[in-house]
Amino acid sequence: MDVANRTNTAAGGEPKILAFCCNWCTYTGADLAGLNRMKYPANVRVVRVPCSGRVNPQFILRAFARGADGVVVCGCHPGDCHYATGNFFTRRRFMLMRGLLEFNGIDPRRFHARWISGSEAAKFRDFVSEVCAIVKGLGHE
Amino acid sequence: MSRIGVFVCHCGTNLASVVDVEKVAAAARELPGVSYAAEYKYMCSEPGQQMILDAIAEHGLKRIVIASCSPRMHETTFRKMLKKSGVNEYLLEIANIREQVSWVHTDSGVATEKAVDLVRMAVAKVAKDEPLKASSIPITKRALVVGGGIAGIQAALDIADAGHEVWLLEREPSIGGRMVMLDKTFPTLDCSACISTPKMVDMSAHPNIKLLTSCEVAAVRGYIGNFTVTIRQKAKYVNQDICTGCGNCEEKCPVKVKSDFNKGLSDRPAIYRLFPQAVPAKPVIDRAHCLKLTKDRCGLCEKVCPLGCIDYADEDREYDETFGAVVLATGYGLCDWTAMYDEYGAGRFADVIDGLAFERLVNASGPTEGHIVRPSDGAEPKTVVLVKCVGSRDPKKGKPWCSRACCMYAAKHAHQILEKIPGARVFVFYIDVRTPGKNYEEFYDQTRKDGAVYVRGRVSRIYKEGGRLICQGEDSLLGKQVRVAADLVVLETAMEPAAGARETAALFGASADANGWLQEAHPKLRPVETQAGGVFLAGTCQGPKDIPDTVAQASGAAAKAIGLLNKDEMETSPMIVAVDEAKCSGCGACVDICPFGALSLEILTAREGRWERAERFVCKVNAGLCQGCGACTVACRTGAIDLRGFRNVQILEEIDALWT
Amino acid sequence: MNNFSQQQQKIRSAASRLLADGTVRFVIGWAPTRFAERTTVLFAHTEAEAQALVWNAHCTAALGKYLLDHRLADYAVGIVARGCESRMINRLLTDHQIWRERVYILGAPCPGMDAERCAGCRERAPVVWDELLWDADGMPETGGRQDAAPTNLDEATIADVGAGLALPAVGAACSRPLDTDTSLRSRFFRAEAVEGLSAAEKFSYWDEVYAKCIRCYACRQACPVCSCRACYVDMDRQGFQGKQHSAADNRVFGVTRAFHVADRCVECGECERVCPMGLPILGQTQKLIKEIEALTGEAYVQGMDAEEENFLGAFDLDDKDDFL
Repeated sequence: MDVANRTNTAAGGEPKILAFCCNWCTYTGADLAGLNRMKYPANVRVVRVPCSGRVNPQFILRAFARGADGVVVCGCHPGDCHYATGNFFTRRRFMLMRGLLEFNGIDPRRFHARWISGSEAAKFRDFVSEVCAIVKGLGHE
Repeated sequence: MSRIGVFVCHCGTNLASVVDVEKVAAAARELPGVSYAAEYKYMCSEPGQQMILDAIAEHGLKRIVIASCSPRMHETTFRKMLKKSGVNEYLLEIANIREQVSWVHTDSGVATEKAVDLVRMAVAKVAKDEPLKASSIPITKRALVVGGGIAGIQAALDIADAGHEVWLLEREPSIGGRMVMLDKTFPTLDCSACISTPKMVDMSAHPNIKLLTSCEVAAVRGYIGNFTVTIRQKAKYVNQDICTGCGNCEEKCPVKVKSDFNKGLSDRPAIYRLFPQAVPAKPVIDRAHCLKLTKDRCGLCEKVCPLGCIDYADEDREYDETFGAVVLATGYGLCDWTAMYDEYGAGRFADVIDGLAFERLVNASGPTEGHIVRPSDGAEPKTVVLVKCVGSRDPKKGKPWCSRACCMYAAKHAHQILEKIPGARVFVFYIDVRTPGKNYEEFYDQTRKDGAVYVRGRVSRIYKEGGRLICQGEDSLLGKQVRVAADLVVLETAMEPAAGARETAALFGASADANGWLQEAHPKLRPVETQAGGVFLAGTCQGPKDIPDTVAQASGAAAKAIGLLNKDEMETSPMIVAVDEAKCSGCGACVDICPFGALSLEILTAREGRWERAERFVCKVNAGLCQGCGACTVACRTGAIDLRGFRNVQILEEIDALWT
Repeated sequence: MNNFSQQQQKIRSAASRLLADGTVRFVIGWAPTRFAERTTVLFAHTEAEAQALVWNAHCTAALGKYLLDHRLADYAVGIVARGCESRMINRLLTDHQIWRERVYILGAPCPGMDAERCAGCRERAPVVWDELLWDADGMPETGGRQDAAPTNLDEATIADVGAGLALPAVGAACSRPLDTDTSLRSRFFRAEAVEGLSAAEKFSYWDEVYAKCIRCYACRQACPVCSCRACYVDMDRQGFQGKQHSAADNRVFGVTRAFHVADRCVECGECERVCPMGLPILGQTQKLIKEIEALTGEAYVQGMDAEEENFLGAFDLDDKDDFL
């Protein structure tokens, strides 16, 4: 979380954005973006998880503590969860975590979440591009 | 030392044209724990796999990272390959440098940098991978079908015909369900009993089928492949093994009870069979009304029974049986319109009846032998009003859903009235007419040509005037109030889930939606499965349907059950959660999260600290139910419950690897 | 203070009776210290010890957590329970940490103690008890210390009282700057004081806080909601908590601790009371409850009964997700 001192941007490099993607929707959507040869910035690094419900908010804290410039969490749309209800819990957890991060002075523009289905390759591309642009714009404080 | 081997694929030029694969392999060699790294044109090819296997043997590799296409593509391929080596197939991670690198980025420099990062993450993760072993559970080759309507009958017959043993459980004294109550079926007008009773007879004669009537599911333990079901056999008071169904007892019984089967339009004795063609064709005693059982008087049936079948001391029994697959076919009921529509008389008018009662009236084996008469005085009605969507499509007073079959059976009712009562007039009040089915629109069209008058609007009030029922409502096409003086009014009422369906499904781990219809695993792609493995849905328990759809879905459910029962054993994924009992506080936060009911709290009694015999809660995982989503792990503050293959420490290592 | 002494007598006699008839092994309450303004916790095992129990405005330590030390016991424990303790007990019951029949609860409606956090307390009457020692009637329903509480304050006014608060100073080691002002205030007073800052100001404010944190884990130790058998911070191999003593890792701990109690916090303020560095960490947990209330649009008070659903253990199909 020591954003000011540790980010890549601070060192003049490209920002690194960590993305948690659920295996069944967003990871598939990201693969589809590849199959369609869509182009998006190379700043994003995807961690594959079975379900967005697997993403512990502590992972996000850890990423920021280690120097992540941005973190995103993606999963199936509500109602489409491969495991029926996982993303409903994700939703509550991260709505709450966002408030806590903001309260702790982590710029909310560094943390995003989005529902992206397996067919929404373009949405994945656009979302990643958008977050990259935002995070690059923030630079370091 | 981890002795990790990293293998970077070129994927022809797919990867190598953008990513500097040699640089990736070189970077991998420098990573902690990596003792070998190589690149090759096609890792997934036969020689590519052989190259990996050789490297494992030559360099004593213990864990493998493959940088290639998406794990969704070839993870299984490489797992299979590892089975041929000494390396556990779960000590494998894939870095996705094709779909998520070379195909989406153009600049070789940043693409290569990202590929190195992804390999670094995979290496960090694989170092914490644990060897896992897929286990398998034996499957009990026997299916349970819950519900003996047409859906249950069809599913049972299909499964039995495929060679598997089936037990069909029905809570009524006979199978048959709603379909045997009907007279004719739309749009072909074939006799419902003529097509369903032969199936019932097939059922009772089928060597693979065991029929359980007057039975309920009391409890369920276990899961897919092995459900141990506690069956409650309600007392029948008639020895079913000896009874021949001669009917002497039914004739002599002095008690008269309104027949539910005939919707109260006739009486039945206290020792009775549900209907003449009941299967099994043997009577049971209705304990609530039998004089012997309630008042210890009478005993006539015992006296007249030539075989001594009557056993007043019979009791409910419970016993356990194990099944590999379960089909839920619990069916529907009609909503109680009398409680919802005071403006229709709330049941005060005898000649306002529901659609099922009309079916009994028009049925040749019904209480009037098929003569359509007014229940109040037995007179033949000359003007009949049919009201559709009573309870359906009415979120305020009734149910929000469309009951789907009513438009068609209303058309059928209109047709039957016009056919059986010469000169009769039929008015159908409707909101919309929905006829999406083969030959459905044609049937509806013909009914209108035959003379049925369709009035678009809801009936707002039914009241009595001069011995007739005045149906008042707006004809919304004319924009005028209309009043029809009817002799008989038939309310085509909403289907609703059968009483107790939600509770029964819950015993098997399946759930119901907000309206009480049982929930399919996916509305489009898994319509006959439930979230509970090995539990399938057939017929109207899943939502309103007509007979063709019900039968089709029943066969679908049967196919799923057969697919399961054809296996001797079922492999279970080892990538599920496990609980460290020493750390588990038993708070139960994880239990609330699990959508599969795989987690439960149990009391652990053990010596602990200064206490000889301490009792505390711990979480237990049912490995057969866990699907490995890992949503519970986040609820566990201690980390006592963790997901194999995606453990906390592994994901943390992946994160850390990016910023070392 | 007359009330306090009468009520103290009731506590002593009830405790003596429970010990005499063997209902409980001991009774948890407060005892005097050699400082007039401090009390300590007493485990009264005998009738004589029960006569040492005190009840005054300095009974600021919450007792609920001590039940956990006896969670495996086969005997019953008596406890004096105010609103906060009773909600802790419900919380421990919800989390399956204690057995209801092994706790004997002496309900003690609280007039508000001499502590800043008590000034934001809204639920001072016990919500569960075996025996209510005195009536809650006549107690001010909300607000600070009884003698400091203005009368006829409505919720809106109370919120105003809290809103204008200055940012709490980050304490110096071994000082107690937090308990200086016990006047009435808003329920989320500590969080509200920080909310108005800009992102950068917030960041540096918490930086200052966590630079002082010595990671003694007293906040966790005192928290009645931190009932885990093993705490994640003590598990090196899990790896959630970095072991570096840096503001960054301290901050991860601070935020994680808050998140771990997020939807279960009973708002007793023990975490802040026991912090040896005097850090204003109550804001973190207050913020989370405030967020939950904003997300659901409903009041969220934990510990009101033992059967309640946790916010994070449930969902609504139409939960808000405006940033997703």
